[in-house]
Parts: sequence; C-alpha cells; structure tokens
Amino acid sequence: MKAIHSRWPVIVRVLAAILGGYAFTYATTATLARLLPFARYDAAAVATLLSFVVYLVFVLWAFSARTLGQVLAGVALSVPLAAIAFWPQLLGGMR
Amino acid sequence: MERQRSLTQSMSWLHTWAGLLLGWALFAIFLTGTLAVFDKEIDWWMQPELSDRGLGQAQAAEVAQRWLEREKPQASGWNIGLPTERAPQLSVSSGEQRRGERTQLDPATGEALPVRETVGGNFFFHFHYTLHLPRMIGIWVVGFAAMAMLVAIISGVIIHKKIFKDFFTFRPAKGQRSWLDGHNASAVLLLPFHLMITYSGLAIFSAIYMPAAVDALYDGDRQAMFRESRPGAEQAQQAGGGARRAGAEQGQPRGRGEGARPQAPAAELLPLAGFIERGEAHYGEGMVAGLSVSNPGRADARVTVRPLLGSRIELTKGEGMVFDGVSGRLLDAPEPSRPSLLTQRVIAGLHFAQFGGYPMRWLYFLCGLVSCVMIASGLVLYTVKKRRQVKADSSEGRAFLRLVESLNVAAVAGLSLACAALLWGNRLLPAELAGREFWELRLFFGVWLLSLAHARLRAPLQAWREQLFVAAALGVALPLLDLLLAPGAADRARLGLDVTALLLGATLAWVAWQLPRIATSRARRTPAVQIAGAER
Repeated sequence: MKAIHSRWPVIVRVLAAILGGYAFTYATTATLARLLPFARYDAAAVATLLSFVVYLVFVLWAFSARTLGQVLAGVALSVPLAAIAFWPQLLGGMR
Repeated sequence: MERQRSLTQSMSWLHTWAGLLLGWALFAIFLTGTLAVFDKEIDWWMQPELSDRGLGQAQAAEVAQRWLEREKPQASGWNIGLPTERAPQLSVSSGEQRRGERTQLDPATGEALPVRETVGGNFFFHFHYTLHLPRMIGIWVVGFAAMAMLVAIISGVIIHKKIFKDFFTFRPAKGQRSWLDGHNASAVLLLPFHLMITYSGLAIFSAIYMPAAVDALYDGDRQAMFRESRPGAEQAQQAGGGARRAGAEQGQPRGRGEGARPQAPAAELLPLAGFIERGEAHYGEGMVAGLSVSNPGRADARVTVRPLLGSRIELTKGEGMVFDGVSGRLLDAPEPSRPSLLTQRVIAGLHFAQFGGYPMRWLYFLCGLVSCVMIASGLVLYTVKKRRQVKADSSEGRAFLRLVESLNVAAVAGLSLACAALLWGNRLLPAELAGREFWELRLFFGVWLLSLAHARLRAPLQAWREQLFVAAALGVALPLLDLLLAPGAADRARLGLDVTALLLGATLAWVAWQLPRIATSRARRTPAVQIAGAER
C-alpha cells in the first residue's frame, strides 16, 4: 500500500515535466517570437530553434525542483505567457 | 524520489530512466541513422544489376529525354535522376508523385533495365526518423526519443563531475567498472557530436514539433511563413506563374488546381542536356543531381535543375533553378537564404552530412558508431548494476530486470542481426519475386521478432553471445555471398560495403568472444589499469 502511495508524486512529476513542460515551452516560444525585435519571419525562426533548449531546461529543472508545488507553479506560468503571445488573437476573439 | 535529494541524485534518477526507457528506440534510431550515412551506396549495392558506365550527365539526359518522350509523352511531369559520384545510375519517373515508380535506364541502349525491387538504403534513412511507423506518428516518437536523449546527455554531464579525468580512465575486464568506463569514455569522447546530432535532428522537424511561433505570428499558416522566408518572393510568384513554388517542391507539380486548368498548347521541349551546363554554372561542376520537368511538350513547360545536396553545409533540399522549358529563359534561381533561415538550414545540413565528401561521411559514420556504443553500454550498465541489487528485491523487480535484459539483447544485438539479414535477403531472395521489397521487409522484421523471442528464452549472456555471433557471421561472410551471387557487380562502392561489413562483423565477433570475461570478472580484484596516469 505504501509503495503505491509513494508512487503518485513521481507520476505527477513526470507528467508535469513532459506535458506541462511542453505547454510551458509552447507558451514561451510563442512569447519569444512575439517579443523578439526582429522581422516577423526571423523572430518565429529563432524562437522555434531555441524552443528545444527551453524544454530541456524545464525538464531538468522539473526533476531537480525541491517540491512538486514549484513544478506545478512553473507549468501554470504557461497561462500568462500564452496571453502575452496570443493577445492579438485573444482580442480578436472577444470582438 | 520525493524525499529531499541532491541535484546529483535527481539527475542520476532522470538519466537512468530517460536513458533506459528511450534507449531501445534511441539505439535503433542511431544505428539506422549511422547506416543511412551511406544510403546511396547501400542502394547501389542492393541493385547489383546496375553498373557504372561512366556516362556524362549530358548524354544521360539525352537518353532519358528520348525514353520519356517515347514512353510517357502525356505525363504531367518527368523526373530524371542523373548519374552522380555516389549514385552513378540513370533513373526516370513520371507523373505527380516523385516517389512513384522509378525506372532504371541502360544508358548504352536507352532501354529500361530490369533491376530487382528492393527497399534499398532508403529503408534505413526512413526507419531512422519514423521507426517504420506511420510517418507523422513516427516523427513524433523519434522526436520524443531525441528530447529524452538531450535530457540524458545533459543530466549525464551534471552527474559526471570528473568528466575529463574519466576520459583517461579505463579498467577493462572489471565488470561493472568496465561498462561504466566504456559508457563514460564513448560519451565524453564525442560529447559535442552527441549533442550536435541530437539537436540538429530536432531542428529539422522543428516546425512540426514546436508550431508555437507559427501559431502566434502566422495564425498557424506554415505556407504563409514559408512565402515570407525569401524576400521578394511575392513578386516572383506573380511573374513566374508559380514557378518558384514548383522549384521549391522539387518540381513536383501541384496536384490541386493544375488538373482543372486547361492544358497549354503543344510546344517542343528544348534538349534537356543544355540545362545541366546552366545549372553547373550556378552550383558548380558535378553538383547537379537531377532534372524535373512539369508539363513536358506544352507551351508552359518548366524545367527545374535540382542540385546535389552537399554543394554546401546549408541543406538546400527542395531547392532548384527553374527555367522555361520552351524558351530556355531563367525564371527563378535561388537567392542566398536570409540569416535566420540559413541558421536553420545549416543546422539541418550538419545533421544530413552531405557536405565534405567521403572523408566527412566516414567521420559521421564512425561518430555514429560511437554513439551506438554509448547507448548500448548504457543499457547494459543498467542491468549490470541492477543484477546485484535485485537479489533482495521483489519478484516484480526480477521480472522487470528480465524484461530489460531481453529487450536489450533484441534492441542491440537483434537489430544488428536484422540489418545484416536484410542485406543477405537482398542477395538470396529471387530477383523476379513479386512484391520483393515486402519480402525484404518481412525478413527484416521477422528476424528482429525472432531475436526477441530468442532473448526471452535464453539466459541473458547466452542470448547476447549467440545473437552477436550470428550477426558477426553474417557480416564476415557478406563479401563471400556477394562475390558468389553477384560476381559481375563487384566495383569499388560494392566492395567497400563488403569490406565494411566484414570489419563490423569481426568487431561484433570480438565483443561476443570477450563477453563472458567482462561479465564474470566482476568478482576478481585486479588493479585498475590507469591510462595516462589519471587517478580516481
């Protein structure tokens, strides 16, 4: 019973690292593309190439972070980041 | 793992599991990728009916044009693969799909050559990035494995504090220590290569893996981004009547719309040989790989001169010079890529290894083999470590270890065996067999499945040795088979493959020979062999 009980934090952390990490990377890449002071094409290309570093660092951090709460907070950061990246689409959708 | 742990501990946990669970797929990706470095040479070997006639490209283009005008006058497009250094044959295909039926032509007679159907070296290339799964699923699985590889590499560096010292430490025949040293040496020795090849592999499909920037800035319209990649593309799009796009897709005629448009009036196509020289003027001598013609025999005929990959590091896949097929006017020539595109293409080019000729190819091949050794030794290291702990462990733990051990054998020895068996099958299956390439595939996967069954049934050490010995025997005997069954085909490229198989086979035999010593000498207490005096 105890073994099963202690497994859950690991599973949550793995999922947070892989899926949450992807969401975080997606949002960060989009934000980077939006904010980089380059021509549209260049900003998109540079941000996309850097995305794998973002994902890599997030995953490594997710497994070394002290508590699971920190990891989940990191994943939650995707929401404001995505809002920055997609604000024109969001405003367009509200109209 | 939720207890408070040091960075080293958590990275070590991550390294173990990312490396183990994706290691089997990674070994398959790296081994087939290493073989795919010589995909064209393997292609050539697998069709022993072909021979190098030393034909010039201009003559070859004439032969091809004559054949296509006679046999496929109504086709919407033609593709001609011209003889090149690595692939000295002449092949043609027609119609919409570039991947359709390819016909090999005998340049001397101008007739179609009967060649055996084969999966060719292309099999390794496609397996390398799709694992023979449906294309998109495969690309995602391989991408996931590549990310795990990056995670394993960096976490490995973090847990490895004495990274440079260990490079000089090798203690052979010391059981676990030897495996650890072997894993460390192969990892540290080529760390830049492992990183480069993994990252560049991800970068090739970056638009698929991470569409975030395209979604944010282009509302997910990848074509819109593609159009913007080249300055001035808009104007040429209008002037050239879509020629730029035709060039961008290797002369593949656009399926949609094309059929609906009424056909242009008939008009004679210029001799294709003349376009080669004009292509060489731009790409350099011997740097033209093929020609594509859309709407041959019509007033709107377009000729695309496709360059050989490898005229530069930048991966110019899909690029070409587009000419009007009737007037010969140059409609579109590729411009230098803008810096961000160039960056992406150079990274992709570093992965494809088409530059630098044969010395570079051999370097990539050898580095790829070292990557394979690193992955395989890491997989074995897990079982060696675990076997000592598992005695006190649960039966569940033992069953898992048994599973890992048999998967290791099948993934490493079994795949090597299957690759060798594929080459044997290429020579042994009757040349006229219907659906021959599917039999080659069945043989490859059949042997691989058998190796898994064998690995489940036999004790780990026996399973390793037996499969490695069989793979070694197939490799060592491959030159014999080739000379017996295709004696007329022996040329430099084919003999080169035979000799390489012989050497790899001999290496596998040596490893299989040494295995019992490495596996059982754990108990012995021999002093560590210190190379270069590095002290632990």
